[in-house]
Amino acid sequence: MANRRLYTLVNILGLAIGLTSFILISLYIIDEVSFDKHNQNADRIYRIVNKYDFQGVGEESSSSPAPLAFHLLKEYPDKIETVVRFFNNWTSPYFMTYNDKKFKEYRYFFTDSTVFRVFDIPFIRGNPEEALNPPGSVVITESTAKRYFGQEDPMGKVLKVEDAFSLTVTGIIRDPIPQSHLTYDMLISMSSLRWGGKEPQTWVWNPFWTYVLLKEDVKPGELSEQLPRFVQKYFYDAEKENISLYLQPLTDIHLRSDLDYEIEGNGNIAYIRILGAIAAFLLIIAFINYVNLSTAMAAKRSKEIGIRKVFGSYRKQLILQFITESVVISIIGLVIALAMVEILLPYFNDFTGKNVTSNYFLDPNKMSMLLVITVFTGIIAGIYPALYLSSFHPARILKGIPDRNRTGLNARKILVIVQFTISVALIIGTIFMYRQLAYINRTDLGFRKKDIAYIPVVYNPINRHFDAFKARLLSSPDIVSVTSSDYIIGKDYNTHEFRPEGFPPDQWQFFPALIIDDDFIETFDIKVVAGRAYSMDNPRDAEDGVMINEAMVKHLNWKSNEEALGKNFRTYLGREKVMGVFRDFYASSLHSAPTPLVLSMDKKAYASPDYRKYIVVRYQPGRQHEALSYTEKAWNEFVPDRPFEFVILEQELKGLYHEEVVMNKLSAIFTILVIFIAGLGLYGMASYLADQRTREMGLRRVMGASRFHIAGLLMKELNYLILAAIVIALPLAWLLVHNWLDNFAVRIPIDWMVFAMAGLFALLISTVVSTYKALSAYRVNPAEILRHE
Amino acid sequence: MIKTENLTKIFRTDEVETIALSHINLEIQKGEFVAIMGPSGCGKSTLLNILGLLDNPSDGKYFFLGEEVAGSSERQRARLRKENIGFIFQNFNLIDELTVSENVELPLIYLNYSAKERKAKVEEVLEQMQITHRKKHFPLQLSGGQQQRVAVARAVVANPRLILADEPTGNLDSSHGEEVMNLIEGLNKNGTTVIIVTHNQRDAEYSQRIIRLFDGQIITENIREYNR
Repeated sequence: MANRRLYTLVNILGLAIGLTSFILISLYIIDEVSFDKHNQNADRIYRIVNKYDFQGVGEESSSSPAPLAFHLLKEYPDKIETVVRFFNNWTSPYFMTYNDKKFKEYRYFFTDSTVFRVFDIPFIRGNPEEALNPPGSVVITESTAKRYFGQEDPMGKVLKVEDAFSLTVTGIIRDPIPQSHLTYDMLISMSSLRWGGKEPQTWVWNPFWTYVLLKEDVKPGELSEQLPRFVQKYFYDAEKENISLYLQPLTDIHLRSDLDYEIEGNGNIAYIRILGAIAAFLLIIAFINYVNLSTAMAAKRSKEIGIRKVFGSYRKQLILQFITESVVISIIGLVIALAMVEILLPYFNDFTGKNVTSNYFLDPNKMSMLLVITVFTGIIAGIYPALYLSSFHPARILKGIPDRNRTGLNARKILVIVQFTISVALIIGTIFMYRQLAYINRTDLGFRKKDIAYIPVVYNPINRHFDAFKARLLSSPDIVSVTSSDYIIGKDYNTHEFRPEGFPPDQWQFFPALIIDDDFIETFDIKVVAGRAYSMDNPRDAEDGVMINEAMVKHLNWKSNEEALGKNFRTYLGREKVMGVFRDFYASSLHSAPTPLVLSMDKKAYASPDYRKYIVVRYQPGRQHEALSYTEKAWNEFVPDRPFEFVILEQELKGLYHEEVVMNKLSAIFTILVIFIAGLGLYGMASYLADQRTREMGLRRVMGASRFHIAGLLMKELNYLILAAIVIALPLAWLLVHNWLDNFAVRIPIDWMVFAMAGLFALLISTVVSTYKALSAYRVNPAEILRHE
Repeated sequence: MIKTENLTKIFRTDEVETIALSHINLEIQKGEFVAIMGPSGCGKSTLLNILGLLDNPSDGKYFFLGEEVAGSSERQRARLRKENIGFIFQNFNLIDELTVSENVELPLIYLNYSAKERKAKVEEVLEQMQITHRKKHFPLQLSGGQQQRVAVARAVVANPRLILADEPTGNLDSSHGEEVMNLIEGLNKNGTTVIIVTHNQRDAEYSQRIIRLFDGQIITENIREYNR
């Protein structure tokens, strides 16, 4: 009886764990795939993507030039209902004040008044038709309203921005739901944005995310086929041969978009698929266990079944009885799983950075669906044991003739093989993922990443005092060098137009570039392989020279680095030549190989002091605290109104792989669960085999077999199953690992030791389980065994 | 060879205590053929299990080959068992998944005989039992009589000093039963001590001494006129 209770408990536990994991992963997946679908027009909204391809180099930008949107609407009014743009100053903050309250705002967008016609943005106060029409108007979220105004009525209140302009609150909207690829605290009228008194007219500068709402019944292809003509008509001659536009469905952005200049970090459909597969595996494994453990109990219940049959029970009644039991166990498992989900959800959210709730399943429809899945699962999982158990012959049973259904046994063995195939493959996958991430962290990126801090300074008054600020910082012995840049090295870059030698002078080529300042090369220890770096000893360097990397030399088919020196490589208005060639480094994540890259000290860009985006400070190793404290003190002397902020380069670069890190951790946790459940299943199989072979084991003991001989019997039988699983899992795992590693330009080799380790681990589990089971069986007196047989 | 003093065996569950054997005193000499008889539930098989070192008594002493073995560990009992005792069971107790040869070979494996030695001995004993022609068959492919001959072969392959047979003809018809008893008698004539448990009078007549049990106690012990 105790044994039967234990089996039932193990069964319910296995099911509960499987269901809990399934539910948690499902909540995550549902959250991820639901992004942007709350918009009722979602299936008609498309983002315009700009692809700049200059012989394989360029950019695929999620944002567009400012004039594109409304010219598109003007050209195709029969296809487009309306358009909207978003712009956010490259996420640089605005300092806003209301009375004496000061706030630093990152989450804002300048946007067109049409935004409320395209996207579902529920209003609490104000009129969506008018709220963003006038310049200087802003619509804020309810949380932002509380922050600024407390209990006061926000409508009509004025916010000062950077002491430069004002915004009047013209509407209050609901907080955006998290499942949106763009989120905000405030929306500012696009008409507030003025450079030289008017909206930007250039077709080169492209920081405006542009969306079109197609008319009902218009297929996206009908607009797409017009886009080449549109490019020819509106883009500049110097670039239009290399530009194409295409439509990206709104609902594809979160999981299927990894373009340049995304608004926020997106998810990855590949990882959703992996998680989905893991969820499915967990459920399958839990069910397999249920079937195996239930049938393992069969021998113990054979007497009960025999007696029931003798006293008139029909087979159908027995089947119904067993299926009912199975469904009840499934429901108990579900109840426990739901409780476990509630308990684990906060930790799960912390871990994944999400904010999912189980409310999803409180909806009666969803709960019914879950119940149906559970009941259906109970039925399916219960059918095999039901049919098997109810087929026993009562006379044979009551005579004590055990059932030796080889077909049933083989089916169960196959199930164990499936469980362990999944387990071994997951172990291998998780180990490789971990190793690849560790390798990425160790990889030499081609530039120095340690002991460097980036200080964001877009539209910061300190830009006007940069030279003095730099001199002040360099007077500290803890600070090695100071420079500046427009993007964080290794994380991102922009593309700019150049006119390199060998190309028509009136045709621009767009190349990835970093706009840098003096001492950039020295700060990052970038290796110069030909020519020289920018030097402060040569004041004309910034005007006369650019630096390019080896990949650029190859891309332009120049025979050598030395040949590249002195060749024309002009910026938009410049007359630069190649001054130096530097060794390739990884300008963005290790998902891609080093791209052709330009380092330009385009001072004309910096002629506007607001153009500099980051001041870079390199400090002495081990002196981070001292160096940054000194920097902060200096900062507060120059710009006391601006809070001092910084990011450490090493941390920023680690963040590029945040998704992989989360996936690796999730994968590790779920792999452990899979192994645990598969281990339970193996224990069940070992118990079954031990029961089946009780008589044999007793006989062998009578003949003098030691406990190790007996353990060896069981071990041999189970290890054959594990070996079969390993043989199937290895090529499968190789394929999956190989495909995943292909996502990285820098990758670890596929090490066969990992496969061997995973296989040995599986064999170890099997050995431990079978030894334990055999030793338990050994403790029973052989006379008892033979007596009962 | 075998001597017991006040041997007692009590089976206990949570609620019930059953005295299977009570103060059994007996002696069996080397080369004897002894039958233990009695009605169902009198303790015959329990006594046989203890004599065969398959079980320990609850109380009393048991001397096997001069050594006190009551209360010894399973490891010690297993060693003594495999070195000295062969078993024959009513329901043959062959392992269905092994062939006839593999079944007979089992005791030799646990005595660490080499493969070559095992093969030779198995061939010899199968020949003796006239079952060589079935050596590659599985037990379920044999008749009851053939299975019991395999069981006897297994019991003797290691030349044990003692054969214990629990109702050896219980599952056989009379002609096969006689065949098996003749085999056992033959072993005894060659010097092997034999103890059988039976409720079959005809089987008991092969023995030299009959010990009768009732309710776990020896009630009579008769030396038979050995007429065979």
